[in-house]
Amino acid sequence: MSVWGALAGGFVGTLVLTTALAAGSQLRVTRMDVPFLLGTAFTDDRMRARVVGYALHFLAGLAFALVYYAAFVVLGRAGWALGLAFGFVHALFSGTTLVNVLLPAVHPRMGTPSSAADSSPLLEAPGFMLLNYGRATPVLTILGHLAYGAIVGAFVAASAR
Amino acid sequence: MADRYPPLRDYALIGDGRTAALVSRDGSVDWWCLPDLDSPSVFGAVLDADRGGRFALGPEGEAEACRRYRPDTNVLETTFTTATGRVRVTDAMTLPGRGLTPFRELARRVEGLDGRVPMRWRVEPRFGYGLAPTRIEPRTPFPVATSGGTAIAVCAWDAGRVDCDGVGIAGRFESRAGARVTIALSAAHGEPLVFPARADVEHRIDATAEFWRDWAARLAYTGAWRDAVVRSALALKLLVFAPSGAIVAAPTTSLPEAIGGERNWDYRFSWIRDASFTLESLLQLGCQAEANAFFWWFMHATQRTLPRLNVFYRLDGGTDAPERTLPLAGYRDSRPVRVGNGAADQLQLDTYGEFVDAVYHYVQTGHLLGRGTGRDIARIADFVCAHWREPDSGIWEVRSEPRHHTQSKAMCWVALDRAVRLARAGRVPAGHAARWAREAIAIRRFVDERCWSEAKRSYVWYAGAEHLDASLLLLAIMRYDQPDSPRLRTTIDALRRELAVGPLLARYTGDDGLAGGEGAFACCSFWLAEALAISGRRRDAERLMDDLIGLANDVGLYAEEVEPKTGAFLGNFPQGLVHLALISAAVAMQGATG
Repeated sequence: MSVWGALAGGFVGTLVLTTALAAGSQLRVTRMDVPFLLGTAFTDDRMRARVVGYALHFLAGLAFALVYYAAFVVLGRAGWALGLAFGFVHALFSGTTLVNVLLPAVHPRMGTPSSAADSSPLLEAPGFMLLNYGRATPVLTILGHLAYGAIVGAFVAASAR
Repeated sequence: MADRYPPLRDYALIGDGRTAALVSRDGSVDWWCLPDLDSPSVFGAVLDADRGGRFALGPEGEAEACRRYRPDTNVLETTFTTATGRVRVTDAMTLPGRGLTPFRELARRVEGLDGRVPMRWRVEPRFGYGLAPTRIEPRTPFPVATSGGTAIAVCAWDAGRVDCDGVGIAGRFESRAGARVTIALSAAHGEPLVFPARADVEHRIDATAEFWRDWAARLAYTGAWRDAVVRSALALKLLVFAPSGAIVAAPTTSLPEAIGGERNWDYRFSWIRDASFTLESLLQLGCQAEANAFFWWFMHATQRTLPRLNVFYRLDGGTDAPERTLPLAGYRDSRPVRVGNGAADQLQLDTYGEFVDAVYHYVQTGHLLGRGTGRDIARIADFVCAHWREPDSGIWEVRSEPRHHTQSKAMCWVALDRAVRLARAGRVPAGHAARWAREAIAIRRFVDERCWSEAKRSYVWYAGAEHLDASLLLLAIMRYDQPDSPRLRTTIDALRRELAVGPLLARYTGDDGLAGGEGAFACCSFWLAEALAISGRRRDAERLMDDLIGLANDVGLYAEEVEPKTGAFLGNFPQGLVHLALISAAVAMQGATG
């Protein structure tokens, strides 16, 4: 198992995850747009936000791959099946806590349940399991993260040979 | 039935260069496609009062409505007068400006002018032409309607208690003198919704009006019909799809050419013919930057099919537009309601003449053609040489068997004539110019021998026919011959004699392969005005122009057709070709003598 394997897996996995979400948006099954959500925390220019957001999403993908790697090391084994399980937990964490609670808390343009008359939130909050962006969003998010986890697991396992 | 569908005259158009909405005189938004001009509708009550969806906003009781566009803008103002007071509704499709703004935004401002007026509003979004499942939820901070990848937030301020009942979002309030209410629909497509702040919406309404005023101020026309020309230019600007530069023939589909009839077509595509006329109008109005940008769209869009020109292109540049019917009631029971357009596969030879003529004028006004573009024009001229002998469906896209339409042949002559001129000027490779000149002579012989009726002293609709066709006026306008030549003068006289109903002209006499009749084509009437002006009958032309300007609706817009007896509008609305013909006629009269 090597860190480089995890980083490579994180890169490819994020590529697949981002592509899956973008495809879902193009197929009109979700309005989830991770680069837009992340980037608008830093700029209110739509195009610039997407560029910044893509970069941030890839950085986050690499960071999570390192967390996966640490877990693989602790467990003493790695593989696509274990990565799949990590991906499932990751998806639930993203949908219930990371994007649903933490992102609105730190995003300067997104409303939270505590937003009051003295604020003017600009962005629609994702809601539980991102359901505000379409009913199929949780399914797509989980599938994307399962793919991400499996890819990271497979890359880390391959780097051990 | 009729009461549930306002007369088409009662509509006005607002838009932002990406999408557009029809607002009725009683304050109802009855047509809005999201996210783009050619997308499925979210408000489609104009095509189905029950299923289509609308955004109604107006006084609770009886009211008299008076409306106008804010001068030289596409921002609409409707003033309602009731027994208890007056209230003004301002409607705008706002332009984004700077900062994080809604993907699309339809903003409505209500201002109390006098007294107190009980008002009510109701938003009934029905996505996908009213056929897609729509979910409406009371969310924080605003209620949201969603369907697939599209969503609308209904952002209301001081508009009373907002009720969400599963099929609509509604409220009531009392408008008082000096008080202001704002309701904005923030739409998103494929991304999270942006919830605007009220102050930002208010600012965008005013900034949008300011943009339109600035844009209109740049128009070069200063003649007698300035208001009508500026309104036409503003309407055309709403038909231009800014992301690609394409121009739709009209922003609607299936508004009928005859009430209850089958002549219901989707006009939300970019016809090369309209694009050619648009380029010429932009040049005539001095919009050099727009003309330049438009020319490049023009050449870019056609790249995939050159030397063949498709009849029209989708707004994204695609070429397929399969026609299908929707299970909607249709405007006043006019079915079928079609989306897509079966005319895509037709051969319409006149397009080539209009296209090359537009390029010729572009060059004449001092613009340069790239070497590649010059080669493209040469290939088009070769194509015309090879195909002008074929029958086609003509400018009117008739669905009967293809015929040898006179106007199509004459426009093929125009294509070759302009190609020869461009070759002589060194703008187009001259290798085949001699062939183009030879074929042009052959076309002229065909038209003069086979498309002329001695009995009528007129060119006719198609070879061997005795029917007349108003598009023959384009022979004068496009200088197939000198407009005051004996043949064109008597043709103009014959068209007035046989096709005119008051100031209006029917398109043609004879069968077109479809059941039922239709109204008079407004663009033909403006062509007649222009033809009269350039053939030395300026006084007649001015009288006709005055009459035609009087036929616009109260905000200066025209539908495709006008019912001659009642003045009712028919067909898709507003139609670009009519407004293009108006501009062309007005500009021609500035330079005409006689």
